[in-house]
Amino acid sequence: MTEPTVAVRGLAKTFYDEARGEVRAVDGIDFDCRPGEIFGLLGANGAGKTTTLRMLATILRPTAGVARLMGRDVVEEPVAARRTLGFYSATTALYPRLTARETLEFFARVNLYPEEKVDARVDYLVGRFGIAEYVGARVEKLSTGMKQKVSIARTVAHDPPILIFDEPTVGLDVINALEMARVIRELRDEGKTIIFSTHIMSEAEKLCDRIAIIHNGKILASDTLDALRVATGRHYLEDIFVDYVGGVEEMPGFIRESGSAAE
Amino acid sequence: MPLSLINWRQVWVLYRRELRGALRERSIVVNSFLLPVFLYPVLLWLTFSAMVFVEGLSEGRVSRIVLLDLPAEHAELRDSLSAAQSVEVREDTVSVEQGVAWVLDGELDAVAEFLAPGPEAEALPDNFAVRISYDRAEERSRRASDRIESAVTGYRDRWLEREARDLRVSREQLEGFLIYRNNVATERQVGAFLLSLMVPLFVVIMVALGCFVPSIDTTAGERERSTWETLMSVSASRMSVVTSKYLYVATLGLAAGMLNVTAMVISIGAVLRPLAGELAEELQFRIPLLAVPVLLIGALALALFFAAAMMLLASFARKFKDGQAMITPVYWLALIPVFLSGTPELHLTPTLATVPIANVAVMMRDAINGRFDWLLIGESLLVQMVFVVLILWLARAVLRFEDYLLGSFDGSFWRFARQRLLARRSSDALPVE
Ligand SMILES: Nc1ncnc2c1ncn2[C@@H]1O[C@H](COP(=O)(O)OP(=O)(O)O)[C@@H](O)[C@H]1O
Ligand SMILES: [Mg+2]
Repeated sequence: MTEPTVAVRGLAKTFYDEARGEVRAVDGIDFDCRPGEIFGLLGANGAGKTTTLRMLATILRPTAGVARLMGRDVVEEPVAARRTLGFYSATTALYPRLTARETLEFFARVNLYPEEKVDARVDYLVGRFGIAEYVGARVEKLSTGMKQKVSIARTVAHDPPILIFDEPTVGLDVINALEMARVIRELRDEGKTIIFSTHIMSEAEKLCDRIAIIHNGKILASDTLDALRVATGRHYLEDIFVDYVGGVEEMPGFIRESGSAAE
Repeated sequence: MPLSLINWRQVWVLYRRELRGALRERSIVVNSFLLPVFLYPVLLWLTFSAMVFVEGLSEGRVSRIVLLDLPAEHAELRDSLSAAQSVEVREDTVSVEQGVAWVLDGELDAVAEFLAPGPEAEALPDNFAVRISYDRAEERSRRASDRIESAVTGYRDRWLEREARDLRVSREQLEGFLIYRNNVATERQVGAFLLSLMVPLFVVIMVALGCFVPSIDTTAGERERSTWETLMSVSASRMSVVTSKYLYVATLGLAAGMLNVTAMVISIGAVLRPLAGELAEELQFRIPLLAVPVLLIGALALALFFAAAMMLLASFARKFKDGQAMITPVYWLALIPVFLSGTPELHLTPTLATVPIANVAVMMRDAINGRFDWLLIGESLLVQMVFVVLILWLARAVLRFEDYLLGSFDGSFWRFARQRLLARRSSDALPVE
């Protein structure tokens, strides 16, 4: 087996909230990810997915534990760790006043992609993600679908080995959500390490090579879908999930259906 | 060392991104570029209209004058001046020096002093010259001088006619009857005085205004548009990101200040001269060459100050509007010392040089008036920079807090300072990256 590109051990994050007191958003989790695989974090709202991924992106500092990206410790070498990473989420918007091309140039350069190769890289991305038609238009003028393509392109602008997608299909219509899944699969096939979070069962089922079920900041199970089936004796991921988590009623934020866009 | 965390190549990339976005943002272009450029032409036009208006008013005012050493043969001149409703001839017998002092104090509008004629007019007995002392900076005084001059000229014509007839000589031979005008304020002083009142005030306001929208846009605006987290996930250190933003805001502040000064110099020539006509000759709007670098450095010091202060405050807002509300009171507070230091008699002193912003304003005013005390200029700039460093140090302390960086802290800078910086819960703080 290949070496893990992402290694997480005992990672934890406690927030201090004025209203709720101490919140253990992530409570000591371990996992590894490898090139050419999609690792899924499946959990209801508030399970701790975003907090985990933000710690990997060095946006949050772990309360305990370690995480390494390509061997770079996220606490010791945050800048170097971020360089190995493309981070995509519903809260990572694009600069509205830049054109699509300027956006890609900016993200390639600021992530220290070799200057002499920036033009060629941007040309490649424009072709690959089908942005050519509106590459000179300001991002603010683009449709949701167009923005999504530019957003994915900017995430991979510096050709990082690790890609994090935090609930990337939230707010997308069915067509755009399917397109997103197709691109993520493609990137996996090119050998990227992909961490993908979702609260939608069918999405995880179709897309992920391995699934970690996260609940209340803890990873309850982490394996391939087949192995999870064997372990629980159930076929559908939904049932497997319920088996581990112990009843849908306990999870107010939980949404079962895919596609019918949550918001 | 924080400086070693800065990658200047990334700072340059980030800085260009900021500027490019700003130049496409209407509110920034208006505040940082258009307003500073067009303020002076509009303002000068208004000032000029006001001057013409005031001039109209002073026409109705009685001119207070004294006549010194009027020869008895010409007593008729006194009678004709006294008869005029617009002139009050004071009977005081004073020295010329005393009269001039009164003119400068505003006690008196002009002094007319009768002198022996020059050698070219000696042929005519009883000939005389008049020297009028007045203050060209004062409209009342200019008007008094004009009134004396026209009264004397009228009297001279009548008197010369008479004398020529009596002596049977041509009038030309009798010319040489002289009037000397003696403006007690120098011309440059008058123009520079007006400039020195206007320029520092507007440079401060413009630099602050130039920093205003960019400082909010690059902090709270970035949060509001959800680009903040995108930026936090790029592989530039936090110090590189903050440095690029700071330089960007300071650049726009400096640009606003410099455009403002340039616009002033150009618009005075282009707008005021043709409008002012005869007045323009009297008012020479020129600043000493040496004042140019002082103005430049002053604007730079102001830009570094306002950029740091405004960014620190606005970065606690999650929405542009909140950012605006957080900065505005401080903006006005910062302008108070500038308004207070607008008193013309105030010059740079070692004490005044310790008051930030006001010290730079007075420093610029003194420079325009041709006063250069390099020691005090140095002190002012040093004090200003100490305040800049102080704010940057605060910013660095604040940057170590995760909830501040993430935007989950709910409150202003002041609340943060109370709850975190002063409370010294050091476990909350991150190492600087
Ligand atoms: N900045 C924060 N301050 C306090 N609590 C937070 C913060 N961010 C997240 N939390 C809490 O941590 C828990 C996990 O949140 P999150 O990681 O966003 O879950 P998910 O992404 O799986 O929906 C939730 O209870 C949430 O309310
Ligand atoms: Mg989330």
